[in-house]
Amino acid sequence: MDYTPSELMAVSGARELQDRQVVAVGVGLPMVASLLAKRTHAPNMAILFEIGVIDSEPIHTGVGLADPRVWYRAKYLSSFVDILGTLLHRGRVDVGFLGGLEVDRYGNLNTTLVGDPKGKFRHMVGSGGANDIASCARKTIYIMRHEERKLRETISFITSPGYIEGGESRAKAGLVGGPSRVITDKAIFGFHPVTKRMSILSVHPENTIEDVVATMGFEPHIPEQVPFTEPPRPDQLKLIREEIDPERMYIG
Amino acid sequence: MTKRTSLSEAVRSIPSGAHIGLSGFSITRCAMAFVREVIRLGIKNLTVSQCVGAMDTDMLVGAGAVDRLIYGGGSLDRFGLLANVNAGIETGTLLAEEYSSLSIAFRYLAGSLGLPFIPIRSLAGSDLLARIRERAGAEVAFVDDPFTKDRWLVLKPLVPDVSIMQVQTCDEEGNSWIMGPKWDSGEQVKASERTIVIAERVVPTELIRREPERCVIPNLLVSHVVELPYGAHPTSVYREYDYDADRIEGYVEATKSRDAFQAYLDAYVFGVKDHGEYLEKVGGMEKLESLRADPVLGY
Repeated sequence: MDYTPSELMAVSGARELQDRQVVAVGVGLPMVASLLAKRTHAPNMAILFEIGVIDSEPIHTGVGLADPRVWYRAKYLSSFVDILGTLLHRGRVDVGFLGGLEVDRYGNLNTTLVGDPKGKFRHMVGSGGANDIASCARKTIYIMRHEERKLRETISFITSPGYIEGGESRAKAGLVGGPSRVITDKAIFGFHPVTKRMSILSVHPENTIEDVVATMGFEPHIPEQVPFTEPPRPDQLKLIREEIDPERMYIG
Repeated sequence: MTKRTSLSEAVRSIPSGAHIGLSGFSITRCAMAFVREVIRLGIKNLTVSQCVGAMDTDMLVGAGAVDRLIYGGGSLDRFGLLANVNAGIETGTLLAEEYSSLSIAFRYLAGSLGLPFIPIRSLAGSDLLARIRERAGAEVAFVDDPFTKDRWLVLKPLVPDVSIMQVQTCDEEGNSWIMGPKWDSGEQVKASERTIVIAERVVPTELIRREPERCVIPNLLVSHVVELPYGAHPTSVYREYDYDADRIEGYVEATKSRDAFQAYLDAYVFGVKDHGEYLEKVGGMEKLESLRADPVLGY
């Protein structure tokens, strides 16, 4: 294998994005995946950062959205009300693309309170724009590490709603859209059209369904046919390594 | 009319118990010199609001100056979490009302427009909303759209007593340019009763008049103007200077224990008489020059 799991995650994320889409992106691997898509098959995609940035072209890796490195060569610099309001809330964002600390079987995301081994809750980062994006985008993609403590049967706090309790509960809460993919370093998940439970779509090369299921906190829906995830192409890896994240801040 | 004054005078205009809005976002354009002066002068029991919690808020909370925080979550980006804010939430010493970025921005927007409330699609179905309704029931409600009969979550306007705005350039009346993305700064200023502008430089009004389309804060909203180069240090100001990574890492290290944080405050807040001494302490001109933004890159 001549690529890392993080590189495969970024490439898999890029593959979910289409040309001309409007994508609201969180920091980290979602940013790498979006920049990769835009540099390859989706040149007319618009990349939005909640802080007020559209279509920047960073040449240095930033420490987060607050880093001007991430705003470099933007076409447009504005505000929360502009990006999260007049574009996202207005219904013009096709895809929300987020990282997460914990997700449950219905794609609810927790970035607020995480239990520690002593049974106490630690406060983490909260929402930022994540709740807004998960609530208002036409669909949402999550990218996160495949660990039992991150893919949980239940989470302690719903910061950003997925399908809430499954079935029709998201629509009943008055929300459109919902999570469409969860990309981990072992597999790609979708959601069952009726139950809205997480379902395995593909398993990354050199992984097995058994290992994928054994290393998560709940049993996902397993369809009869589960293909292997398509591996990254050399040109995608070259872009990630040499231009998008040369300091390996996000790819690790 | 000149509104120029010293940082100390501007800070003294804020009584303990006031609601202040701060301009920071994570580690950029944070009102750091302001916060250090608030702590030095012993102003307490503040309510702080901000869309995305930042280093300015975290330091104020760590110094025990904040009773209540109204924010949308936040961090110090890759440097770390808002450790003082989080500790306050975990131990119950800080009353934190947690929303999302857009909810706070909409609450400021409603305040800026003088609206009684503002509907929002965010927060539905989340535990953020559940908590807000438990703790601050009067600040969110549901109403029926009179036209479609759809049910909407509505938020109360957020109107700080004072907004503290770190900006690049202003004139002595307070007409201000903010370069780069503005996150919630515009709506926060316009919602607030008044604004204290802290600028990297104060220029003649004639220069503002030559490029009025750059001006995002008209002077009529401003009560005080403070000229304070590097006033956001160790956070960054776009097109002026980069964040000081070593100093932010030092801060993060200090937030790991009460004693270490007290030592940090003793060194960088109480141990210096003013912003000038602070800048000397963190490395003086040589260090600050090394942080100067490249004019092409902006950082």
